Amino acid sequence: MLQYSLRRLIIGAGMLVALSMLIFLLLRLTPGDPIDAYIDPNIPMAPGQLAQLRSQLGLNKPLPVQYLAWLKQALTGNLGFSIKRQDQPVLSLVLSRIGPTVVLMGSALIIAIVVGIVTGVVSAVRRNSATDVSCSIFALIGISSPAFLSALIGLYVFAVRLKWAPSGGMLTPGAEFSLGDLLQHLVLPAALLSIAQAALIMRYMRSSLLEVLNQDYVRTARAKGVREFWVIAKHALRNALLPVVTLIGSTIGLAIGGAIFIESVFNWPGMGLLLVNAVEARDYPVIMGATLIIGACVIAVNLATDITYALIDPRIKVG
Amino acid sequence: MKLKMMASALALSAMLVGAGISMSPTPVQAATLSGGFDVGPGGFQGNFNPLAATAGFTWLSVYFEPLVAYDEKLQKVVGVLAGSYEVSPDQLTYTFKLADAKWHDGKPFTSNDAKFTMGLAMDAKSGSVLAARLKAVASVEAPDEHTLVIKLSAPSASTLDTLTKVMMLPEHALSSIPVDQLAKNSWWSTKPIGTGPFKFTKYVTDQYVELAANTDYRGGKPALERVINRYFANPAAAIAALRAGEIQFTYVDSNDVSTFKGDEAFKVIEGDSFVVNYLGFNHESPIWKDVRVRKAVMYAINRDAIIKSLYSGAAKPADCAYVVDQLIPQDIDNYAYDPEKAKKLLEEAGWAQINGDKPITLLTYYTTPLATNVLAAVQAMLAQVGINVVPRAVDTPTYNSIVLNPKPDVAQFQLVYAGLQNGPDAGSINVGLNEKQIPPAGPNVVRARMPELNAALDAALAEPDASKRDTLYQDVCKVMNTNLPWATLWVANRYGVVSAKVKDFIWTPAPGGGPYQAHPEKWSIGE
Repeated sequence: MLQYSLRRLIIGAGMLVALSMLIFLLLRLTPGDPIDAYIDPNIPMAPGQLAQLRSQLGLNKPLPVQYLAWLKQALTGNLGFSIKRQDQPVLSLVLSRIGPTVVLMGSALIIAIVVGIVTGVVSAVRRNSATDVSCSIFALIGISSPAFLSALIGLYVFAVRLKWAPSGGMLTPGAEFSLGDLLQHLVLPAALLSIAQAALIMRYMRSSLLEVLNQDYVRTARAKGVREFWVIAKHALRNALLPVVTLIGSTIGLAIGGAIFIESVFNWPGMGLLLVNAVEARDYPVIMGATLIIGACVIAVNLATDITYALIDPRIKVG
Repeated sequence: MKLKMMASALALSAMLVGAGISMSPTPVQAATLSGGFDVGPGGFQGNFNPLAATAGFTWLSVYFEPLVAYDEKLQKVVGVLAGSYEVSPDQLTYTFKLADAKWHDGKPFTSNDAKFTMGLAMDAKSGSVLAARLKAVASVEAPDEHTLVIKLSAPSASTLDTLTKVMMLPEHALSSIPVDQLAKNSWWSTKPIGTGPFKFTKYVTDQYVELAANTDYRGGKPALERVINRYFANPAAAIAALRAGEIQFTYVDSNDVSTFKGDEAFKVIEGDSFVVNYLGFNHESPIWKDVRVRKAVMYAINRDAIIKSLYSGAAKPADCAYVVDQLIPQDIDNYAYDPEKAKKLLEEAGWAQINGDKPITLLTYYTTPLATNVLAAVQAMLAQVGINVVPRAVDTPTYNSIVLNPKPDVAQFQLVYAGLQNGPDAGSINVGLNEKQIPPAGPNVVRARMPELNAALDAALAEPDASKRDTLYQDVCKVMNTNLPWATLWVANRYGVVSAKVKDFIWTPAPGGGPYQAHPEKWSIGE
């Protein structure tokens, strides 16, 4: 197990370097650089001032030199300074955003798992009933609604029209911190972010449980007179959960994509909002730093999923 | 057992979430005004350094102050930190008598602070975007504590306009920081001090900036206790917060204004954008060489129809860069919509040979729904006379990288749809049209090389007498109207919406956010 984890870690590190190279290249292929993003076309800059700014930022050096300089710095844990917020180091900027993103994504994940598994089980047990059909319809809508659409509709209906929740931000500006205030701001974006994942989990849970319910050992359990509740809870559910766990792990990457939209719409001060602002400003160091850390998280979560998988099912051997 | 635990955990989290939902909103103290002060084209979210500010002056001038600023109608420049000022008859010496003001830390504001600030603003090493505009300044002197004298090497009509954007900075707080490190210093977003009616208390990254009343303000104690500037990803998000009652003010796009009109809970503020929108011909592209082709573009576009249907009438057609009466000569062509005339002109010029129906890229940085609709209309109208334009909307950095490139790829922007500030200082358009401002020197992105236009602009900029200057700007207007460096379109109004509870609130959609005299100390909020 240890050897396996180590090997996966080394592969993960290699993947991160490859990822950073790819992002670096893609960024330089994007038209416009940080100076282009900063200047207002209506304001004359002194001749040479633009060139001076570019050389100050090292943007005039050849690409491999720029990349290696960045990598050398990054390996020592220094991700450089933001170009747009000149007084802030990238590492602290990114680290300060992980908390809010984890809170948002974590809550969304919990909602998605609870809702997805419960509705999935109910749908499977009451197959073809009205409940099953309506759950399936909702799941279909959930899967096919892109995050930006559900976020905007949710914002309009629940925040603007019904005023059940604030329209954005993480805390009420100017108010002292309180858990109630945080939860109030969290509930709408987290619920909206969870929709797609919950729908996916529900679909998987339903089909996986249906498959398991037809297995011999389930029939045996029923034949032994075990009560239906325990048949499902103890015998079927545990086995049916395996593919669902894999799915949950692999949708984390997807959820990050959704979080970027949700954070922009709800002005949630997380990684997503940071990234969107950084891309608009062509803030290279922040984009590189943030994608590197997101990449590391995705790789870590996938590794954790594989290990959890082995723990749930002892038949699966890793290493 | 496990199930029981799970059930309890679920119940607990449900209670927690439930508690969160049912709790009433965390109360914010009364006498707090929250707004999206940096939303829209005049805002600059995340910038705290006035030397680096190309916009965002509405907010910056709530805690910093310049020597002079525009009045609230943006008609004349009046004293702020300068209690009064005088300009010598030869327009070379500006003398400012400074007001008796104090910094937020209690230290007195003196002419040394003003001299220090001018030094930073004129030095590009400080990251100042004002350096190029202050190059006519020959010397800055502080003969006594309350007097500042600025001498110019040559008269420059835009000096006062530029000085409105120079926010005074405290020498005692900043002089120890090396000039080239100033922009990178965290002072700006952690503990800045100004002389304005409100003082900086905190910035929560990407969320909001909070200011508290400066009770020692020389203009009297502010009526509000706090002012909060909320950050939003776009105007639509700010409107959602306004409607939800979380903020009391924001800029709104013109196509959203109608939803607020007639609603008693809000007041709509309308003002001149001072930005002229135009189709800029790329003069390095051979297809626009013949002025008859450029005229055909003007005749082919039904500006009145676009203004009526897309701007709901809230824009003035522009026949040159200006729409203000005193800058427009009597005898200019108003290019009334005439597609037949356009076709005729194109035929005379030999358009079929020049370009025919080959696609022409129309590049823009405007990405709003309104701009998309405008360009669709323009595309359809030009297609009717045989000019095949293909709009391409990109973000600002992409636009800049294409048009400001010293060796531009003409095919990428044969035509641009853009805007340029045309007031309150009429000289603002010089940067977009004077041959001396062709990139990399400046933003004459259409590469206009028209000697007659250069001469007219130079003459107007150098004229010290204000009334004679207006006549010279009329000449500029005339040259533009005849030679068409751009196909000028219109000057649209812009809007803000404020809650009806807010009293004595002054706001106008000034280019770059002003600054203008908004008197934040008088703003108040009722129940």
